[in-house]
Amino acid sequence: MRLVFAYIDPGAGSLVIQAIIAGLVSIPFFFRNAIRSTFGRFRRKPTDGPSAAPGVSAPDDKGATSTDSE
Amino acid sequence: MSERPAAQREPGSYRDPSGFVFRHDGVLHRQINASFAEDWAAFESSGLHRALIDQGLLIPDQQAALELAPEAGAIAVIQPEEVGFISYPFEWSFSQLKDAALLTLRAHSMAAEHGMTIRDASAYNVQFRGVQPILIDTLSFERARPDQPWKPYRQFCENFLAPLALMAYRDGRLGQLLRTWIDGVPLDLASELLPRRTRYFSPGLAAHIHLHARAQRQHAGDSGPDGAPSTAPRAVTMSEGRRLALLDHLRRTVEGLRLPPQGTTWAEYADQTSYSEAGTASKEALVRRMVEAVWADGGRRAWDVGANTGRYSRLAADAGFWVLALDIDWAAVERHYLALRASGDNRIMPFLADIVEPSPGIGWENVERTSLIDRANADVLIALALVHHLAIGRNAPLPMVSRLMARLSQHVIVEWVPKEDPMAQRLLAAREDVFPDYTLDGFRAAFDTEFEILDEAPIEESHRVLFRMKRR
Repeated sequence: MRLVFAYIDPGAGSLVIQAIIAGLVSIPFFFRNAIRSTFGRFRRKPTDGPSAAPGVSAPDDKGATSTDSE
Repeated sequence: MSERPAAQREPGSYRDPSGFVFRHDGVLHRQINASFAEDWAAFESSGLHRALIDQGLLIPDQQAALELAPEAGAIAVIQPEEVGFISYPFEWSFSQLKDAALLTLRAHSMAAEHGMTIRDASAYNVQFRGVQPILIDTLSFERARPDQPWKPYRQFCENFLAPLALMAYRDGRLGQLLRTWIDGVPLDLASELLPRRTRYFSPGLAAHIHLHARAQRQHAGDSGPDGAPSTAPRAVTMSEGRRLALLDHLRRTVEGLRLPPQGTTWAEYADQTSYSEAGTASKEALVRRMVEAVWADGGRRAWDVGANTGRYSRLAADAGFWVLALDIDWAAVERHYLALRASGDNRIMPFLADIVEPSPGIGWENVERTSLIDRANADVLIALALVHHLAIGRNAPLPMVSRLMARLSQHVIVEWVPKEDPMAQRLLAAREDVFPDYTLDGFRAAFDTEFEILDEAPIEESHRVLFRMKRR
């Protein structure tokens, strides 16, 4: 069994709980991925790949950017 | 052994045994230690180093001479590019912190694609070049080991998720908690402060904040049967797929956080100034004339204090200046940042600060993170519609205002706002006028000690006067 060594303290509780949370969220995660890989080819393009455009981020703040942009 | 060169270790760089940052002849360098050799080699050979820089996620660096290493045990020395100004997470608005969080997760994704992982998720590892967040810690990446949990999980939640959630669900000012907790907002506190509904209706926050805080409490005094510290949590394993799912969930949680659409006094301030149209045009023309004069005198960096949403910051940027646009109000900084981000304008960096109560030095010996005054790098201070807030709003005598400005910058462009001005009247409306020296002559006399007046011009259709001064 491997042990975790880090120069920052990962925290005992944090290690335990992340394993539990990861187990739970991995179910919808794989389900989503399965759907995407099945139907993905019919879509125009994926919207949430892991690496979006560099630097300036997430295109999801549009609602708040209503100020001038000239 | 040959004599080692005189170098100065950066006071904030002491936690990570794999290397540290120092200055040699004033130039920033990073020593990489032998203990980190294999990870550093993998970082290079996997192509991750190159890829992160090419994608604009990591600050570019170049190889430097190994002899520059100030301490024994170095295997390499690099010279990273410097950012124009070091800012701290409690000086960012909501979206700046959010973008920094997403950058950290993107960097991890990229690392995972190269068989590596990010090993710390401190918000202090992110800096801004204008509105572009970028990682500055080149040593943040190590080889991924199969079945290992994500080590910086706790750090990510405390540095990013907790303050973002508090800002989104409670109040935008709660980002200031990061000033008290240099290692991030304690999760039990965040859990307590967040509305109850986040426990039940926000799966991301329920898991990563509330359950997480509970787990921390339960495992706080973990010990084995004989009372010795338990090693059980250290042996937690997690498949790569689950790690991916966890990080994906964190990303969704962060992306889902939004500020409630509401203004504050200041963010709407720009829309309701006391100026007529001619007055605004006159003020813009004068500010332009004055920043151009400072530019001609060699000034390159401007601090626009009380920048609000950046109308005059843009004038300075147009004149060629790199601009730090300070404001006391997070909503104004937020609006300014989003507008600049939308237009991809990196000449101006919005920044949350109160010039009357500037960020103190914090952390180890109060120097780990430097005070705002010690980070002053302006050639010109632009203080428009500010003096009455300092002198009347905060009771600062004008000679003190002058001394502060002289300490911050060689050139200043200051707008005099007299008592009879509607905005000054507003400040005086509910209080006694205890400011007999707050007059144009008093202003001139106060600033005359530190500054020489080079340009003075009244703003049309108002009682205000614009000054350009240079430190004596």
